[in-house]
Amino acid sequence: MRISEHPILDFDRGREIEFEFDGKRLVGFEGETIAAALHAAEVRVLRRSIKLDRPRGFFCAIGRCSSCLMTVDDVPNVMTCVTPLRAGMKVETQSGKGTIAPEGARLATGDAASEAIPSAVPLAIVGAGPAGLSAAIYAGRLGVESVVIDENDVPGGQLIKQTHMFFGSLDHYARVRGIDIGERLVQDLESCPARLLTGTTVLGLYDDGDAKALSLLKDGQHARLRARAVILATGASENVLAFENCDLPGVYGAGAVQTLMNVYGVAPGERVLMVGAGNIGLIVSYQLLQAGVRVEAVIDAMDEIGGYHVHAAKIRRMGVPILTSHTILRADGETRVESATIARVDERWAPVPGSERTLDVDTVCLAVGLTPNCELALMAGADGVYVAELGGHVARHDRDLETNVPGVFIAGDASGIEEASTAMLEGRLAGLAAAERLVPDADANALASLRQEAEDGLGELRAGPFGERPRFGKNRMFDLVNDTKDERRGS
Amino acid sequence: MKTRAECVVIGGGVIGTAIAYYLARAGLTDCVVLESSYLASGATGRCGGGIRQQWSTEANTKLAIESVKAFRGLEEELERDIEFLQGGYLVLAYTDDDVEQFEKNVTLQRGLGLDVETLSPSEITSRVVPHLNTDGVRMATYCADDASANPFLTTQAYADAARRLGVEIELFTPVRRILTEGGRVTGVETSRGTISAPIVVNAAGSHSIPLARTAGVELPIAPYRREILVTEPLERFFHPMIISFSFGIYFRQVKHGAVIGGFGDPDEPPGFNETSSLGFLTTMSRKLAHLMPRLRSVKIVRQWAGLYDITPDAQPILGEVDEVGGFFQANGFSGHGFMIAPKVAMLVAQDVRGETPDLDIERLHPRRFAGGKITQDRSVV
Repeated sequence: MRISEHPILDFDRGREIEFEFDGKRLVGFEGETIAAALHAAEVRVLRRSIKLDRPRGFFCAIGRCSSCLMTVDDVPNVMTCVTPLRAGMKVETQSGKGTIAPEGARLATGDAASEAIPSAVPLAIVGAGPAGLSAAIYAGRLGVESVVIDENDVPGGQLIKQTHMFFGSLDHYARVRGIDIGERLVQDLESCPARLLTGTTVLGLYDDGDAKALSLLKDGQHARLRARAVILATGASENVLAFENCDLPGVYGAGAVQTLMNVYGVAPGERVLMVGAGNIGLIVSYQLLQAGVRVEAVIDAMDEIGGYHVHAAKIRRMGVPILTSHTILRADGETRVESATIARVDERWAPVPGSERTLDVDTVCLAVGLTPNCELALMAGADGVYVAELGGHVARHDRDLETNVPGVFIAGDASGIEEASTAMLEGRLAGLAAAERLVPDADANALASLRQEAEDGLGELRAGPFGERPRFGKNRMFDLVNDTKDERRGS
Repeated sequence: MKTRAECVVIGGGVIGTAIAYYLARAGLTDCVVLESSYLASGATGRCGGGIRQQWSTEANTKLAIESVKAFRGLEEELERDIEFLQGGYLVLAYTDDDVEQFEKNVTLQRGLGLDVETLSPSEITSRVVPHLNTDGVRMATYCADDASANPFLTTQAYADAARRLGVEIELFTPVRRILTEGGRVTGVETSRGTISAPIVVNAAGSHSIPLARTAGVELPIAPYRREILVTEPLERFFHPMIISFSFGIYFRQVKHGAVIGGFGDPDEPPGFNETSSLGFLTTMSRKLAHLMPRLRSVKIVRQWAGLYDITPDAQPILGEVDEVGGFFQANGFSGHGFMIAPKVAMLVAQDVRGETPDLDIERLHPRRFAGGKITQDRSVV
């Protein structure tokens, strides 16, 4: 179902185009993904699982989870949640592993020749979200040329889905909506010696003599980019939650719900159960209400609301109950969610018998945390360190956001789960540190003051009870790095 | 962790765990396997999992035939699925030298009872692999009984079976030093303490080199990086492992549906480098797309590297070294350890227990390198 009226967003849909789904003619819009067009056409089952033949829809909608693989133009295993819809495409529900495409079959792509990819650059930045864009802007202030690469067609990362106004004491961006921050960053980038490569996937990060080589994929063509320093601002993936039928189409990550409704103007469903009362759960619930979708309840296993109370108050005022000490037991439905059963949990997290309730919902939205995307850093040789407060395994890094691989930096959610404001500041710091490395005669005073400003900003954002977790996690990471440095010095 | 054992095996790869299993099966259960990381974390878990019987020397072919026999009964014996599949090996000839050598090989192999046939290019596509591009292919040899298995599951199966018999397996326990006294091994020093043992088996792949050195033993092995990649899974569309020595490639479709394969870069310098290279990804992709054009649309999901522990004759080093009593070697497998693991491990276990191995392994003893002439098998990828 397409959203026609929205208090904040105008959906600037592209040309209407026809495509084929399992032999039927369907209509979508240019500029949207295959999965979004199918969802708008009420198609929920995109594939059947390999082993148990279970119906599967998408879960993450950002090309991370592989739940949305379909056969497109005879090519199997196409990630339809990130693949742009093109006129005349033949889209098929995929059963099992998929059959190898006939010789010559090729997925329709954009025109690769339209944009030449440079072969070398001083600084390559992977990810055009808040961290990556900030890194390019601040490295650019010191004259460093960079290429910012993002697999999505639109830069801004997750900011392009954030319709709410930001908090924080950051004078620049407080009271500005996420979508507008993203646009401002892209504008700021225009005055920098930076190139933006969208629709481009980084496949790998390799040693290349005294530099690094990135292998890129754009419009079905491979390219190689050599860079003396690399900043990884690759963001995070959404966590899943294990419960009965948690793989039913209609169980979506909160980011996927945001993508659907705020980017493509497609309502995820009519009645939603939100699982998780942290900031993301609360904010997305409010966004659902804005889009005209009913939120039946927000539940959280914790005995108190994890997010800002101002967000909680807003949705409560609109009649949404927030049930703490509650968990989801199961989702039910044949090929899509038709209801969900929740229950109260005791102090040991065990469901209380007799407290089960079945809610009439068609969508279960999971806002149960994120995991850093640190694969490229690990591939480059960074040590993976498990820090629960940062969201799981993260690449070992120091206060300059440099990993244990010299010249490879990591910033934003990829270096530990926080939020967009801290991601921007971390991006600045990483950009400055990379610039210091690349421009030996950089203005030391300017560098020091910019760095101090970013560090002070991070300190402020991480102060107070809501910053406790990342503050603790980051300090654990830095202590670890100092320990190893001491060890190295000692031996 | 034990502080004393009858036997210590260093290395939790397929060789180490299999030796421990066969020792325990024969009654030597007071055995500890020491692994510096997780099971199959070294060369075993990084290999392609092929099991080939088509070799160019009699000794190797016999050993390989015996290994396939051992593999065939392994799932039942170890009570675990190891994805053993006799999908065959197709060996492609491109040059005059290839053709000449392959004809000799086939005569030798048939003489040893191996069911191997020669195929023309059109027979390859009509009978064995329909999608193969046979441009430049002169002929191929095909043995339908050649096989493959999952190296992780095989190692895990040996480890679990060994544990059931009383073997202790200590993971994340690197060995720092081999302890010796008066020309005999007395045990090992690990990161978690010392274990005394009159017998130590060095099955640590390339890491066997520095380990042996701590006991004053110099092994003629050099580590070489070998790279490999794997694609997304697809419904099965070919069965055999396809290899060519002159084109430089091996690839197969594993049970789960992915295509896995690699090649050895002849210019790779020796060293303990286990990083992946962009050069390999590019070259291997081109080779695959050339040999099987339909693979062009298939996505590669992962690449990695492992170490071949290569000896001067590309043959393993098996047996008790002359310099240090009780210190046995089972290393230097030169890239084909997995495929002969079951039989070799049985033979090493017999040797360790003082029995006469039921297949000659004297030819693989470390002392063969002291002066004498060595024979090189030409069927090495």
